[in-house]
Amino acid sequence: MSQFLRRLTVTILFLFAINPGILAADTQESDGGSFDVMGKVVDHDYVEIVGVKIYLPRILLVDGEWYFYSNTKSAIESGQFMETEEGGLVRSDGAEISLDMSITSHLVYVWLAIIFTLLITMWAAGRYRRGLGAETEPKGAMQNIFEVLFVFIRDEIAKEFISPEKYKRYVPYLFSVFMAIMFMNLFGLLPWAASATADLTVTATLAGITFFITQFSGTKDYWQHVFVFPGVPAWSRIILTPVEILGLFTKPFALAIRLFANMLSGKIMIVSILGLIFIFTDLFGAYVGVGSSVFWVALTAALYFLKALVALIQAYVFTLLSAVFIGMAAEEHHHHDDETAVAHAQAVEVETNH
Amino acid sequence: MGFLAAGLGAGIIALGAGFGIGIIGKSATESIARQPEAAGDIRGAMLLTAVFIEGVALIGAIVCILLALGVGQ
Repeated sequence: MSQFLRRLTVTILFLFAINPGILAADTQESDGGSFDVMGKVVDHDYVEIVGVKIYLPRILLVDGEWYFYSNTKSAIESGQFMETEEGGLVRSDGAEISLDMSITSHLVYVWLAIIFTLLITMWAAGRYRRGLGAETEPKGAMQNIFEVLFVFIRDEIAKEFISPEKYKRYVPYLFSVFMAIMFMNLFGLLPWAASATADLTVTATLAGITFFITQFSGTKDYWQHVFVFPGVPAWSRIILTPVEILGLFTKPFALAIRLFANMLSGKIMIVSILGLIFIFTDLFGAYVGVGSSVFWVALTAALYFLKALVALIQAYVFTLLSAVFIGMAAEEHHHHDDETAVAHAQAVEVETNH
Repeated sequence: MGFLAAGLGAGIIALGAGFGIGIIGKSATESIARQPEAAGDIRGAMLLTAVFIEGVALIGAIVCILLALGVGQ
């Protein structure tokens, strides 16, 4: 049974690797020569499931008036809105949309990731509450994987980088952010889905949450190190304080950019390598294009495995850095106390040895 | 010009990031060889440092993508 499942998984993985090639070929034909690389990455007003497009509701605010439509098409058909050349919407009298609260494909995948995380954690919590896993050994593959991930986040990340007394408060956040990012990244592996983390707004929101948690868990020492760095000449604080204040914001900024760029580059890389088929067809004719496609599709399959790995690593890295930043803020420095404590311990040791 | 700048920039980024991560890998493997029992700690520190280099490199890469796409022209 398990061998059958294993074979099925591998077959499905290979099919997924080949599917984008077919999709790319379709787009190539219908667009008549031009292929939009960024179109595969950017946000859309529809969700595509197995090639079927489901259009999402539009919620628009124009000049203080709210408009609700079930999709973009009905917004245009109602006569209130018209499409611009860039593909955006404006009101028929030319007024620009002041606030676009429309539900987009990336938002749907964020919600899906949150729902998956909630379901899995609630399911596991129910099992542990019943004593399954708490008193006995964890049962089944799902619970074992869950426990491995959870214990990893708790012991290797939270306990290691946040002080052992304080880490418990932050484990729920770190674990849920890890699971949510992991699901969002893995959705990007499905042929028609998109990874929501390849959107800067999503990663910036996640980094923003980490930023606020970091600031609110900051101790007195942390703020002292930001504004009045101890133990340096007074004049060097003129440079040091602005740099430290800037450092507060560059940390979450780098956190957001890192996740975003990693997920985006994976997607662009796959589309670009598949695009080589068409470039070769243009340069050397259809036979070379078709012949070399075997190689490009194999390379894409390899890239898919790399992407699956990167999806996990980036979720880990985001959680790790969140823990490091929170740990840096929540840490309590006892420079002088530590030294005296060590000296005291040594003195006691010397005494007992005598 | 944008394409030229993006291409050159991407190359220089790859050079810098590769050099940096190479140095990290070198010292990490050396330290693990010298002290195999500390392999876990060293691996954690290695990953953390590599991630910081990666972050800087990716910010450069984003600038290159923006240049190649001609954003702001």
